[in-house]
Amino acid sequence: MRKTNSGRSANRREFLKGSALATGAFFINSKFSLKMLDEAPTSPFTVPWLQPLRFPNYAIPLPEWQPLDPIIDPSAHQRFEEFAPTYFYEYEICEAQHRAHPQLGFSTLSTFCDSYPAPTFMMRYGQPAFVRMKNHLPPTVQGFGHCDVITHVHNGHHPSESDGYPGDHFSPGMFRDHHYPNIYAGGDPLEAKSTLWYHDHCLDFTSQNVYRGLAGFFLLFDDKDSGNENDPNPDALRLPSGVPDGKRVKHRYDIPLVLFDPRFDSQGKQVMNIMDMDGHLGDKYTVNGLVQPYFEVERRKYRFRILDGGPSRFYELWFSNSMEFQHIGNDGNLLPAPVTANHVKLAVAERADIVVDFSTLPSTTTEIFLVNRAEQIDGRGPTGNLLPMATAPKLLKLVIRPKSGSVPDQSQVPAVLKPNPAMDMPVVATRSWHFDRTNGMWSINGKLADLSAPSAVVKQNTAEIWHLSTSGGWAHPVHMHMEEYRILTRNGQSVAGTVLGGRKDVFPLYAGDEMTIYMKFRDWVGRYVMHCHNTVHEDHSMMLRWDVVP
Amino acid sequence: MTREKPKPGETARRAALLGMIVPAAALLSGCATRAASPTTTAAGAAIKGGLGAYAMNPDGTRSFRDHELVDQDGKRVRFQTDLVAGRVFAATFMYVKCNGICRDLTARMREAHALLEPVMGDPVQFYTFSLAEDSPADMKRYMSEHGLDRLRGWRMLSGASEAIRDIRWAFGFFEPNEELDTNLSAHTGMARFGNHRIDKWSACPALGAPEGIARGVIGVLPHQDRARITWFHEQHRKNGRPIPGWRAT
Repeated sequence: MRKTNSGRSANRREFLKGSALATGAFFINSKFSLKMLDEAPTSPFTVPWLQPLRFPNYAIPLPEWQPLDPIIDPSAHQRFEEFAPTYFYEYEICEAQHRAHPQLGFSTLSTFCDSYPAPTFMMRYGQPAFVRMKNHLPPTVQGFGHCDVITHVHNGHHPSESDGYPGDHFSPGMFRDHHYPNIYAGGDPLEAKSTLWYHDHCLDFTSQNVYRGLAGFFLLFDDKDSGNENDPNPDALRLPSGVPDGKRVKHRYDIPLVLFDPRFDSQGKQVMNIMDMDGHLGDKYTVNGLVQPYFEVERRKYRFRILDGGPSRFYELWFSNSMEFQHIGNDGNLLPAPVTANHVKLAVAERADIVVDFSTLPSTTTEIFLVNRAEQIDGRGPTGNLLPMATAPKLLKLVIRPKSGSVPDQSQVPAVLKPNPAMDMPVVATRSWHFDRTNGMWSINGKLADLSAPSAVVKQNTAEIWHLSTSGGWAHPVHMHMEEYRILTRNGQSVAGTVLGGRKDVFPLYAGDEMTIYMKFRDWVGRYVMHCHNTVHEDHSMMLRWDVVP
Repeated sequence: MTREKPKPGETARRAALLGMIVPAAALLSGCATRAASPTTTAAGAAIKGGLGAYAMNPDGTRSFRDHELVDQDGKRVRFQTDLVAGRVFAATFMYVKCNGICRDLTARMREAHALLEPVMGDPVQFYTFSLAEDSPADMKRYMSEHGLDRLRGWRMLSGASEAIRDIRWAFGFFEPNEELDTNLSAHTGMARFGNHRIDKWSACPALGAPEGIARGVIGVLPHQDRARITWFHEQHRKNGRPIPGWRAT
C-alpha cells in the first residue's frame, strides 16, 4: 500500500476499480465505431455553383535593377555558374485569410505570397531561375500546420540543395535560396516536363502544411510545348494555350486545376483530423481553393492540367456526360501519343493533362460537371468501387457558352507528342522496396523514416531497376524525387501504350500492386527521398533517403 | 521481430476484473458524487462519439476524455486535466512484462530523453502508458531497472485497459480490425507528440532513430524553447539564413 500525495491509498486493485467505474458507463453503453473518420465534424451545407473558378496570379520575377538582399552565395549551389539564373524571385511565406465559399467562414492558411493557391510559376527550359523563400509565418501556428517550411518543386530535376529535402526545413525569420536550372535531364529534350507543382515538404508536417495552403503550379515550357497554340514554329505542338493569370482569363485555354478535399467545422473554418494516421478525408471538394465553383468555356478545345493535391484522396474523374477526351500527359510530361479516354484515375500528387473539345457537344448541352466516381471511405485508399454517375460528388460545373468564341481555335492534339527517352544506360543495381505497415506505422521494407543515413546510395550517371510493391488493404502513391522514371511492368504486365507508359514521378500502388521501374540518376548529387505521397503516410514514417554520389 | 503472447492468466484475470466492475460502473454512472466523468471534458462539455473521440474548445485546443490514471508513485491523475492541458509531451505505449518491442522502445526513448535534456521536465514530459494494467509497484520497478526513475519529466501511467485504449485511439494508434487492435503482442510502437496549448501534434516511430524522436518533440515545442537544444539549433540554423530586420509578429 502506498500513500499518494493527496493522502489517498492507491493500490492496484483499488485504482483499477475506480478507474473502471469512471470509464465503464461510457463503454458499456457505447457501440464504438472502428472508423475514426466518424469522429470528424461534418462541414456546413453550401450551395454549389455560386462562384466562378478563380486562378492565382503568375509569379512575378524581380525587376532587373533590384538585387536580392543579402546577396546570393553561389558556393552553396551545384553548377551555379554553368546555369547562371536569368530570373530572380523573392517569395514571402505568410499567413492569410481565405474563404472557400460564401457560406463558410474565413480560415487562416499558410500561403506563398498571400495567395491560395500559390502563384503560378511560368518557367521555360534554358532559362534558369533563382527563388528566395522567406519564412514570414508567426513562430506559433495554432492548430494544424507548422511554422517551419521547406519548399519542394514536385517533379523538378533540381540540385539536392534546392530540391526541398524534408530535413532542410527552416524557421520564421529565415530564408532559403533555391536554384532551378531548368535543364533537361541528361541534356535530352525528350526528358522535358510540363506540369509540375510546388509544395511544402517540412519533415513530419508535410500533410498539414500543404493542406494549410502551401501548394501551387510550376509550369515548364519549351519550343515544342511552347504555350502558344498559334506558334509558327513547325516543331511546336500547338496545344490549347493561355494559362489564366489572376483575373486575366479571357481567351485562356490552358487551365490548371488543383483539387483538395477539405473539411470545415460548424463555423466554416477549415479543420484537419491530425490524429488519424491512415489519412485525412474531407467532405467538401475544392477546385483552385473554392468549393464547387463553375467555369464558363467556349465551344472549342481546352487543355486541363488536373492535380490531386491530397492529402489522402484518390479520384476517378469523369465528365457527367461521359464524354471522351484526349489524355496527353500523366504526371509532369507529355505521353508519346495521346490516349483517348472517358475518365482518369488520380492518386495523390499525380497530374492528368487532358484536352477536351467542347465543340463536339450538341448545342442543347449547356452544362456538364466534373465528377469523382472513386469510392473512398477512409484515408488508406479507394475501395475500388465506382460510384454511380448520378450520385457521385460533383467538383466543378462547366457552363458551355452558346457559340464558339471570337478567336478561331488554332490548337491541335498531334498524333505524336513526346517520344519516350531511350533506356540506354546499363543497369548497375536492382533494389526492392515493400510498402507496408509495421507495428501501426507505415514502413518501407519494415523500416521507418530515418533521414540520418541513406537507405540507398546510387552512383551518378548510372541506371538501376527498383521493384516497388505493397500489401493488400491500402494504396500508396509512391513519389521519387530528382528525375522521372519509367514503369517497365505493373503486376507483371507491360504498360506500353497506356497512360502509365510515359515517364512518371508518382507510382500509384493500389492494394497488392507491384511495379518495376527503370531509373537514371543524372546531373546532380546529394540527398533525395522516396516516399508515399499520401502525405499523412509520409509524415508517419513512409519515407526513405537515397543519395546520389559522384 | 519477436512477438510475445500475453500469458493466459493475465488476459483471463483482466477480463474477470473488468467483468465484475464494468456492470457496476453502468449502475453508478449517474452518481452525483462521482468525480468528473471521463465522458466529459474537464470543463464539463460532453464528448460525443466512440473510442478516441475528443472535443474542440473555442480557444482552438482540444479536450479528451478525462480518464483517471495512476502513475508509478501511486499518484492518481486525470488524463486531460493533469497530463494534457497546457502540456508539451511525448506519449508511448508499452507494458512491463513485454518481451517484444518494449525494451527497445524504452531504450530509444531514453536516448531521445538525453538529446532533449535541456527541455525535459520544463516544458517537456514523457508519458509511458501501460497497455496491461501494470501496478504502480510494477511500473516503479521497471523504471528503476531501466534507469528512468532518475530522469526528469518521465512518468509511467496505468489505468483500466479500456481507458488506455481510448487514449491510444485518441492519439491515432489503432487498427480498424478489432482483433488486430487488441492484439497486445503487436501493439503500437509509435510515439505521439503534443503541445496542447497550440494544438500541435505529430507522431513518429519510437523504434526509430533517437534523433528522429527528439526532432518529433522539437516539432511541437514552443518556438522559443528550440534554441535551448544546442545540437538541434546548430544544425537547424544552417538550413536558412536570417532575414535582415525581421521581427516576429
